[in-house]
Amino acid sequence: MGKQKKEINILTASAKRRKRKGKIEFLYILPFVLLVAVFSYYPLYGWIYAFYDYRPPFALSEVPFVGLKWFKNMVENEERVKDILRVIRNTFAMSGISMLFSWFPMIFAVFLNEIKCRPFKKFVQTVTTLPNFISWVLVFSIAFSVLSVNGAVNSFLGSVIDNYEPTDFLSSSESVWFKQWLWLTWKNAGWAAIMYIAAITGIDEELNEAARIDGASRMQIIRHITLPSILPTYFVLVMLNLANFLSNGMEQYYVFQNAFNRPYIEVLDLYVYNLKKLNGYSLSTAISILKTVISITLLGVTNKISKLIRGEGFI
Amino acid sequence: MKKVIALLLSMALVIGCLAACSKSDDNKGGSTGTGTGTSDTKEEITIEIYDDAANFNGEQVGWFGKVVKDKFNIKLNIIAPQVVGQDVYSARTAAQNLGDIVILDPGEFNDCLDTGLIKDISADIWNYKNLSQYKGQIEAVNKTLPGNNGQIYAIPCEMTNTAPNVRSEDTIYSSPLLRWDLYQELGAPEIKDLDGLLDVLKQMKDKHPTNDAGDPAYPFVLWKDWDGNDGMIGIANVVQLTTWYGEKIKGSAILKPDNTFTPITDKTAGYYKILKFLNKGYQMGLVDPESKTEDWGVVWGKMGAGRMYLMWYSWQVGAWNTQERLNDGSAFIFVPVQDQTYYADADAYYGSGRLWGIGSKVDDAKYKRILEFLDWYASPEALEYQHAGIKDFTYKAEADGKYMAINENANIDNLAVPAEYGGAGYQDGENKINQWIVGAVSTNPNTGEGYAKGYWSHYKEATSGKTKQEWSAKYGVAEPIDWMRKNGKLLLSPNVAVSLASDTTDSALWRNQCNQELCDASWQMIFAENDAQFDQMWDEMVKKLDSYHFQDLYKFDVEKHTVEVNAKKAVK
Repeated sequence: MGKQKKEINILTASAKRRKRKGKIEFLYILPFVLLVAVFSYYPLYGWIYAFYDYRPPFALSEVPFVGLKWFKNMVENEERVKDILRVIRNTFAMSGISMLFSWFPMIFAVFLNEIKCRPFKKFVQTVTTLPNFISWVLVFSIAFSVLSVNGAVNSFLGSVIDNYEPTDFLSSSESVWFKQWLWLTWKNAGWAAIMYIAAITGIDEELNEAARIDGASRMQIIRHITLPSILPTYFVLVMLNLANFLSNGMEQYYVFQNAFNRPYIEVLDLYVYNLKKLNGYSLSTAISILKTVISITLLGVTNKISKLIRGEGFI
Repeated sequence: MKKVIALLLSMALVIGCLAACSKSDDNKGGSTGTGTGTSDTKEEITIEIYDDAANFNGEQVGWFGKVVKDKFNIKLNIIAPQVVGQDVYSARTAAQNLGDIVILDPGEFNDCLDTGLIKDISADIWNYKNLSQYKGQIEAVNKTLPGNNGQIYAIPCEMTNTAPNVRSEDTIYSSPLLRWDLYQELGAPEIKDLDGLLDVLKQMKDKHPTNDAGDPAYPFVLWKDWDGNDGMIGIANVVQLTTWYGEKIKGSAILKPDNTFTPITDKTAGYYKILKFLNKGYQMGLVDPESKTEDWGVVWGKMGAGRMYLMWYSWQVGAWNTQERLNDGSAFIFVPVQDQTYYADADAYYGSGRLWGIGSKVDDAKYKRILEFLDWYASPEALEYQHAGIKDFTYKAEADGKYMAINENANIDNLAVPAEYGGAGYQDGENKINQWIVGAVSTNPNTGEGYAKGYWSHYKEATSGKTKQEWSAKYGVAEPIDWMRKNGKLLLSPNVAVSLASDTTDSALWRNQCNQELCDASWQMIFAENDAQFDQMWDEMVKKLDSYHFQDLYKFDVEKHTVEVNAKKAVK
């Protein structure tokens, strides 16, 4: 009897301790829960605007509730449907291109690592990392002074070629997607390479030495040792990028957009922003809800594919 | 470690670049004032001005900042939605405090009045003598505010003390302006119509492909910054030029000389005509190819450098016409095109449409000081600062007490202002509110002339050199507006006090989408390679606009502006 009671006491004490430990452990993740709540869940409250006829300066309580008016508006109008499909196409195309070329920073890091002259290596790395810290507005002003009709490129070509007709690179609607990818890469490649350089540094030096003793060439070492070692990093980064497939940032496209390239450059986020500019709050909220729906669909599809291929999903 | 240092260095480099790029003009001349006038007894306050008209966001600095600081011990903090984006409007209205002083377009003003953001100033305004001088106009405008029973909430912008159905200026807002020397060089041929104008411009361009410094010059230099501003839809440059044929664009509708409306998409009306004119110019190689991407700042520089051969805003000549150029015959001046009739607004007796108000959240002490400030702002002393600049720096009094301009390049070259006036550059320190209670055309009781230099007899005399003399000799009149009057080419639209309806969420959306489509398509049409392509683009655009509810928008705009047209008819 006495033994039993003691055992129960011990049990409850350990349960209590576990409970307290649980509470303390909960405190560890509390900041992150708060972070997610404040920045990811609280903004969802803003969705309410999609169901009202909202326009400033009136408060939400002062404007009529309109139910699904703006959602209907999205699909009722043939031109609007075309517009939405067009911006989704642009978003997919530009995110797709960066996805397609996402191996570029990895290869860049690998080759950078092969440079034996250290000062030169550091120089290249600094120069390629620097653009990451320049805002898009400044990137555009650089682009303007280099590529506009009277910019550096046209002036140079004009001085070398007789009867040269200047081309306005910035306003042309040709290969907008590819050009935007080039800008993005110019700005980001060096920065993205840092991750891979870290991964390469982590490769066991013995592997390389053994391969070298066995007579492997540089290319063989890259192919059979370096690349396989950093592939896991690559896949993690691709996964992370996939999550941002639809939110490919509007700043870049905002500064580069003009009347001539807008049909190709307007991505979903930019479209929502442009719509909102003149009191289109409710409709643009409705469209951003649509974005969320597409995102969730994409997530589901990727998860299915992952299950099919790897046998396990990530949700 | 080295990597970290490299990273830090590169960051420092970028920050250094940014610092070098930003203007180093934040010399707060205003805060070093010696404290004259009433400021000694009052503590310093900052007044926030929400200002639809401002092109500058932040604290007023430089010489005008010093004037206000010395006189009232007030700092002006200007909130400019044109600079920081329209979001600031929704954010501040949501916080129930738009600003201590607000300067708003009429639609927004009515909405803010509706939600109680604007203070009722009826009880106090007539205690202030300068504002009381405009009692008639202020009352008339307030009467038109929806749901108002005789209270005073608004003070109109740019009122005048002249009359609502005259035009006191010698020029009108928009008319074709050519370089007189280049026009003379061609033998000053008579220009019959827009095609004739293009011919003249083409010859100018052929003779002078560059300015004196060797930079390429073009007849047309366009910019996109103001497209769709002030509730207009379409490209600002095109919208303005439709007044050359007596038409005035009101949103999506065109008001024709016979006071009837037609849609902006009407192929027989002004918008199409002017767009086609610009496109023809492009096909003849007369449009600066940089027009596609450049902004207003770049264009202003080109105008000052003589890289533009056709101007169309009356104020644009300010970039070029100095006394020297007026006197040596190389200034820009109106050259009539025979088939044109020019639309012009009469003096803004009841104001330009924009309205001043005081925020409902200001406390009593601040409210008093704001009214004091506004009363001063409408006084001759303040108007001289606003329209003429600094005495003995940008103008001086002659022996007869009338004024004469000096240092005319103060604005365009941002001349350094002497420390006694507040230091910094002249342009940096100009009144950044960029909006007046009383317009420059009003009569200054100190001189009996208007407030800006263009109305001063001494200035007219000094600038009546070669350009003006030759011009007068050719056309037989003294001023451009006289020529228009004499030949029956002036269509004067009287100034009326009306309140226009603000957009609903639906009409705002239609307007936004139609505007973007119209602007994008218009820019593409200006650069169309041939007429067939131009017309095909136009038809496609019209089709697209219709699907964006253009017809509904047109109906809304006609209804909205009929009120105004009826009031104007009543004046005539």
